[in-house]
Amino acid sequence: MTSTTTSTGETTAIRVAARAVHATKIYGSESTEVRALDDVSVELPGGRFTAVMGPSGSGKSTLMHCVAGLDTLTSGQVFLGTLELGALSDKELTLVRREQVGFVFQAFNLLPTLTALENITLPLDLAGAKPDPDWLDTVVDTVGLRDRLSHRPSELSGGQQQRVAVARALASRPQIVFADEPTGNLDSRAGAEILAFMAAAVRDMGQTVAMVTHDPVAASYADAVVFLADGRVAGHLADPTPQTVLDSLKSLKG
Amino acid sequence: MLNVTLKGLAAHKRRLFGTCLAVFLGIAFLSGTLVLGDTLRANFDTLFADANAGTDAIVRSASTIEADGGRGPDLDGRTLVPSALADRVRSVAGVAAAEPSIEGYGQLIGNDGKAIGGNGPPRLAGNWITDPELNPYKLVEGRAPQTTGEVVVNRGAAEAGKLRVGDTTIVQTPEPVPVTVVGIASFGTGDGFGEVTFTAFNLQGAEAHVTKKPGVASSIVVRAEPGVNEEVLAERVRPLAGDGNEVLTGTQFTAESTDQIGRDFLDIFTTFLTVFAGVALLVASFSIYNTFSILVAQRSRESALLRALGAARAQIVTSVVVEALLIGLVASVAGLLGGVAIAGLLKGLFDSFGFSLPAGGLAFQASTAVICMVVGMVVTLAAGVFPAVKASRVAPVAALREHAVEAVRASRLRAVAGAVLTALGVAVVLSAVLGGGDSVLAVAGLGAVLTMVGVVVFGPVVARPAAGVVGWPLLRLRGVTGALARQNAMRNPRRTSGTAAALMVGVGVVTLFTVFAASIRSSIDDTVSRSFGGDLVVNTGSFGGGGLSPALAPELAALPEVRTAVGLGQGVVQVDGDGKRITVADVANLGKVLDLEVQEGALERLGPTEMAVSSDEAEAQGWSIGSTAGIRFVDGATASFTVAAIYDVGDVAGDYVVSRAAWAPHAGQDVDSQVLIGLEQGVGLTAGKAAVTAVTAAAGGASVLDRKEYVASVAQGVDMMLGIVYVLLFLAIVIALMGIANTLSLAIHERTRELGLLRAVGQTRRQLRAMVRWESVIIALFGTVGGLGLGVFLGWALVQAASAEGFATFAAPTGQLAVVLVAGAVAGVLAGLGPARRAARLDVLQAIGTS
Repeated sequence: MTSTTTSTGETTAIRVAARAVHATKIYGSESTEVRALDDVSVELPGGRFTAVMGPSGSGKSTLMHCVAGLDTLTSGQVFLGTLELGALSDKELTLVRREQVGFVFQAFNLLPTLTALENITLPLDLAGAKPDPDWLDTVVDTVGLRDRLSHRPSELSGGQQQRVAVARALASRPQIVFADEPTGNLDSRAGAEILAFMAAAVRDMGQTVAMVTHDPVAASYADAVVFLADGRVAGHLADPTPQTVLDSLKSLKG
Repeated sequence: MLNVTLKGLAAHKRRLFGTCLAVFLGIAFLSGTLVLGDTLRANFDTLFADANAGTDAIVRSASTIEADGGRGPDLDGRTLVPSALADRVRSVAGVAAAEPSIEGYGQLIGNDGKAIGGNGPPRLAGNWITDPELNPYKLVEGRAPQTTGEVVVNRGAAEAGKLRVGDTTIVQTPEPVPVTVVGIASFGTGDGFGEVTFTAFNLQGAEAHVTKKPGVASSIVVRAEPGVNEEVLAERVRPLAGDGNEVLTGTQFTAESTDQIGRDFLDIFTTFLTVFAGVALLVASFSIYNTFSILVAQRSRESALLRALGAARAQIVTSVVVEALLIGLVASVAGLLGGVAIAGLLKGLFDSFGFSLPAGGLAFQASTAVICMVVGMVVTLAAGVFPAVKASRVAPVAALREHAVEAVRASRLRAVAGAVLTALGVAVVLSAVLGGGDSVLAVAGLGAVLTMVGVVVFGPVVARPAAGVVGWPLLRLRGVTGALARQNAMRNPRRTSGTAAALMVGVGVVTLFTVFAASIRSSIDDTVSRSFGGDLVVNTGSFGGGGLSPALAPELAALPEVRTAVGLGQGVVQVDGDGKRITVADVANLGKVLDLEVQEGALERLGPTEMAVSSDEAEAQGWSIGSTAGIRFVDGATASFTVAAIYDVGDVAGDYVVSRAAWAPHAGQDVDSQVLIGLEQGVGLTAGKAAVTAVTAAAGGASVLDRKEYVASVAQGVDMMLGIVYVLLFLAIVIALMGIANTLSLAIHERTRELGLLRAVGQTRRQLRAMVRWESVIIALFGTVGGLGLGVFLGWALVQAASAEGFATFAAPTGQLAVVLVAGAVAGVLAGLGPARRAARLDVLQAIGTS
């Protein structure tokens, strides 16, 4: 548990939704060895919107995949809440992803054969669980999809598809939602909408979101930014604006 | 461009393998069929040539009677010649040896007391020809028979019956003759002529037991002195042959024997196998076509890129053509070789069903290679080119777009064409079947083909709703996994229906045969159980070939438990010049155990020049009671017979019934094929059966059947054919299932990212595997249900068409069809196993990778 000062100035005990401890990930071996993560330790606080930034090859996606249980570390540990992921089997990891993690990818986020509503409840259906109707209503209204629920992905715009993906990530009330370049394929208006929805989910619904991005504008929607470079943590930034993010990035490269 | 093709092939070994396998299996079956046919022909040729090598001429009666044998083997009879003719022939200049040859019926009993011989092949007895060069059989052990109680048997029979030189056993000719085996002989170089058993007495023994008349023989075989041409020899012998006899050279005789086998057996046999090779190939073509369609669709972006870079349409098509040619070439060569193994397996299959074929090395002819290569290449090429041309019509820019890959909805043209073709096919079948006429079967067959084509064309139109209906229970039972499987099966109707079509054709043919066989069975059951009024039947197997002594029936009738015992014998006569099978019976008692439903006249008072005929035959010949017909017997005697009774049910008795008194004087060997028994009132079935069995056991162990067993045994031949048909069609089904597996593998490849997403949001490997398997089951069930529908309809049509010739009533065997349905579902699971396993092995991160 750590103490953080919230935007309202009160000091509250905040749980850690996920953290990496001395996380190292090495691809290849010997001469072709690539250290995607090199002794990275970060905490993603609960109830907050954290952005992970860095240039291409900085290891930001690898970090997210490892923390989300999609990939395994070479050494070090990752925790979801208090659960250490390294000790889990493939099946247990799958169940963790299903119950405690939500995902929003850059593209191809939905199953083309399912309707929007079916896509939203997919993780719950896979678990054989009944969605909580009140929560589902809240989520659907937050992303503004009430009148699109029976449509299939091919009948939705890119922005609408991504909103369905956000709703799906939130539907199971996960410990944490990971978003990997969620606005990468969208025009700026649709991108802004998605980011606003995610921010609202954190602010109004108490959800936790971690987002990988290389767009300073997108990062500015977050409560805090973690910078990565060459597989290492290269800095932190609280209450970012597009300008402060840009400045930080410049100082990273310089 | 060739380079691109080759690199593409190398990069996709698995799908290449799947496509090759379909071509391979189809061609292997075709090649196996051809090799087996050639092998049999070659073996029969050498067998006869070897066996008759020492025979330069043969003298026999020109008078022969042949009759087509409804459900049994053909019977023929030839008038005997005087044995003394041999002495006269011997005096001709240039004749080195001339001997009478006797050939007749003789059932050899093995060491275990059971009759030796499979289903169908004749069991022969005759004389041992003392001139070693004239005798087709060569002693390999022991010596020639010297007394009337000594015999030589062929090696195949000796092995089957575990008989050794010095053993004593029984030969039924059909009276039981106790004999000692003194020698064992080979036929040419083989163990025997197929499964034919041959028991050789000395000449006196053969005259006593086989012809039962001294001084006559089946033929006189003649050997020329060295340097004397067989034509010249035949010319010299001819004047001595006598009236009504003919002289053949050895070459003519060999050719005639070979031809007879070819005509009666080999042609039917190879045609039969070729039909199944055709079905297998048809199913394989569906699978190949479908695979190429998917491959071309998947590559449409790659092709579009190539075209955008300046490749001409023709180059794209050529690339697919080259790929198809390579696959066709490799798979056809492999199939050609695999066919040799298949030929061996097929031979084993027929052996295990009791139809033994002569042994010998496999004959591989150039024509087999040519046919297989051409068919394999053409089928593969046709399957590959059509989708390639279609794909090349797509504009490059359209193909480059993300979602251009899946073209889903079936076109209106297809819906209309499919519906019209199907309706037309059904209409043709119905009009043929219901309208009747001369060429019912041909027209109905044309309609059947039309219907099948129509259904295949129409498939994609119904695939979506049909897969939805078939998969509907999954929605309830299997939750989201089932729902996803169902959606996947519905998402590309053309592909689903193309995949299912292969299975549909296979299952359709299986169903057709099942329904047809069940209908024949049930009509046999009906008529036999209706007409057979007795309690027990003694018989020697459903294919005939065996025989019972006419003395058996009176012996059984004398038992205190038995009220009536009537022997039924078979024979051939000429009726107004045409060969006909007749049934010989104790007509006075026949009616007590067999109700022939006599319409007119009195069967029980049939006189020695009177006959009873079936109403069908009477109608065909235009006879009524009192009509007369000229009858010629095998021994050459003629008589005028009067129709004295007309009956309705010919299933057991055939078309002609005469009394034993009419037949016996003309028969060399009077043989009963079965004895029908009615028990005394109050005698239990078990007690009666025990008493009858005690008598028959001493006579070579003919089987004693009760009513139910008897009905089953009459239909047994149908079951046996059905068994063989099933095994042959099994291959077609296997090909269809591999088609499903192949399509699924390709679909999984296509949906990699989708599967990755599912795994990322929490689908377990187990759920993923189940999803793929259920999709496979839905496709398989769609094909199976379609096939069942098609098969039952066409089966019904075939039965109706055949019933115009008066024998079958339609029966749909619900139990068996349910088994087919369940088997279809299970097969779907099996086909889905491999793709499901591969899908589950997918790496989640790589799958969702955006590259």
